[in-house]
Amino acid sequence: MKIRIAAAILTVRITTLFLRIFGSGGTSFPGKAAMFFQRNLLEKLAKNITIVVITGTNGKTTSARITAEILKVSGLSFFENKSGANLISGITASFAMNSTLFGKPKNKYAVIECDEAAFKTVCPMLKPHTIVVTNLFRDQLDRFGEITHTRNNIISGIQASPTSVIVLNADDSLAYSISDSIINKTILYGMDSPPYGNDGDFLSDAPYCIKCKSPYTYKYRTYGHLGDFSCKNCGYSRINPLISADNIELGSSSSKIKLNINGTEADAEIALPGAYNIYNALSSAAAALTLGIEAVDIINAMSSFKGGFGRMESLNLGGTDVNMILVKNPAGLNQVINFLSTDNTQKKLIMILNDNFADGTDISWIWDVNFEKFSTFQSSLAEITVTGIRAEELALRFKYAGIDTDCIAVEKDYSKVIDNVIVNNDGMPVYILPTYTAMFDFRKALSRRYKIRKFWK
Amino acid sequence: MDKLKVCHLYPDLLNLYGDRGNIIAMQKRLEWRGLGFEFTGISVGDSFNASDFDLIFIGGGQDFEQEVLLADLSADKKKSISNAVESGISFLAICGGYQLLGTHYTSWNGVQFDFCGAINIYTIGHEKRMIGDFMFTCLDQPISSLTVSGFENHSGKTYLGNGVRPLGTIIKGFGNNGEDKTAGARYKNVFCSYSHGPVLPKNPRLCDFILETALTKKYGDYSLEPIDNAIEDSAGGYVIDRLS
Repeated sequence: MKIRIAAAILTVRITTLFLRIFGSGGTSFPGKAAMFFQRNLLEKLAKNITIVVITGTNGKTTSARITAEILKVSGLSFFENKSGANLISGITASFAMNSTLFGKPKNKYAVIECDEAAFKTVCPMLKPHTIVVTNLFRDQLDRFGEITHTRNNIISGIQASPTSVIVLNADDSLAYSISDSIINKTILYGMDSPPYGNDGDFLSDAPYCIKCKSPYTYKYRTYGHLGDFSCKNCGYSRINPLISADNIELGSSSSKIKLNINGTEADAEIALPGAYNIYNALSSAAAALTLGIEAVDIINAMSSFKGGFGRMESLNLGGTDVNMILVKNPAGLNQVINFLSTDNTQKKLIMILNDNFADGTDISWIWDVNFEKFSTFQSSLAEITVTGIRAEELALRFKYAGIDTDCIAVEKDYSKVIDNVIVNNDGMPVYILPTYTAMFDFRKALSRRYKIRKFWK
Repeated sequence: MDKLKVCHLYPDLLNLYGDRGNIIAMQKRLEWRGLGFEFTGISVGDSFNASDFDLIFIGGGQDFEQEVLLADLSADKKKSISNAVESGISFLAICGGYQLLGTHYTSWNGVQFDFCGAINIYTIGHEKRMIGDFMFTCLDQPISSLTVSGFENHSGKTYLGNGVRPLGTIIKGFGNNGEDKTAGARYKNVFCSYSHGPVLPKNPRLCDFILETALTKKYGDYSLEPIDNAIEDSAGGYVIDRLS
């Protein structure tokens, strides 16, 4: 038995090393190869580790990183999986890389981001201490199916692990409704006031009550379908969360909030912009609380964050500030547009739309996004360059959003995009918004151009 | 001239896969020609008289949302929709909205749902979804050489009955049912399609043709003046080239 575990772990080590040498990251091969030697390897390796699993449609990577930061500041020994490795094979490989050859864990804790479709299978194997469900938004319907399908997958994963503590977003009527179908201990987080006032983006994925199909009413809304909801017909409504943010002030690179953790209140700064990152920080605070980390320590860790982690990555390339923000579904892109609209410095925009399997082959979601908002701050956008496999469709979306077509450049060659926008630039910051596979491709093009070996984990 | 009155039926429920892009396309293409556009959203519980409008749009929705609206539809909107169809009001119905205009839907496990019955088509649910980019050639006279591209994602197989003709003939993809090469449906001024994408922005001639049916009913024989479609054509053309 031990031999098989050792063989499996060795396989992961060797194949990972090879893949690293030959420079291709983000493959599922090592995990799959290991599972060949020991089918239930993950179950065995996860046994003596206190695990936090983070799943949901948006904000998994950032929430995992903030959680990891809190664990680090608290001096706990832990490991994380890489954001690209969030399916069963990648998660298995992460556990194998972080145990001894005979399967003993090297760390007491693990922070694991898990794809919401893979969660159903992965969760019963991990039997996590804590499960965070960040939120449920429409995401790549051709891949995941309808939201209710994703929700049911998550429920069945949780049901297979009844001792896990569940962290849910109180403001998300879809995610919070999960608590009805499970017997687990549940704790909630949410915003006690609206970050954008009455002026947010309220295109809702869930206007009707998940339980009785009557329309929700809201005391206030944060964005999308999130907010202080209630159903007048059946009484299903938000309840006050244990961890909450109030007095929210959004800035262009960070937000200030009054953070309340189970009655302990303090001013905190979230070193990432946008209301969605406040939710990410709150979910991480909740996860940390379930591990027994003191509220005071969480607040300290929260305020000690340096920016630059999470899904917004900032680089200086030959004197030009370049910011890359992954966009993959309407809720996420709407939040990024909101964030860009709050910053009125002149900037250049590169948007990259791919329709490979991992991006979702159906790109119609860009028409569900409030591109019309770009026209309200077009004066701060010096240039919009669209690229990627479906660049033409992006140009079309901008045109119908009322953007002057003279400001839209279609250029499918990445090296020309880099020349035109980043190299040929006199100090104007550049924002790059790629879909998933576009992010990897464009990074590769950037590292070739600027001879960067590895600029992001 | 009066504004063209466009209604989005159940905009908060039937708004899947960017279908509201069709509304955006109609609005912009009217406005770029100096024509007015007036939008009304009608949802569950709203009173509705279909003949108040020049053009009615119905999009696709998820199963949960479609269940929400069924009771409301049969309570008072069904009759109004049928009357409007017969009187020649223009309709664009996509995917779930297309199915709703038909007589009924039978799910793969045999449960039957009665729909509007405004046009003579019906749909049978299937376990396997028909997903992907697709394209078809239109059959209506003035746009008969037009190739339309879009994205389909449906498990229902739709069959056309007497009096209803297809909108087009499938070149690549599944279309109505994956069997008879028909794509979408046409009846009076009703246009139905499984094409998401959304379909109108990157198929501007189809958009204009549908608008012209509504304008003609309102003002008598009406042609829209040509405008620049370069960006539209390159977006639609990309899909056509890739499928060819």
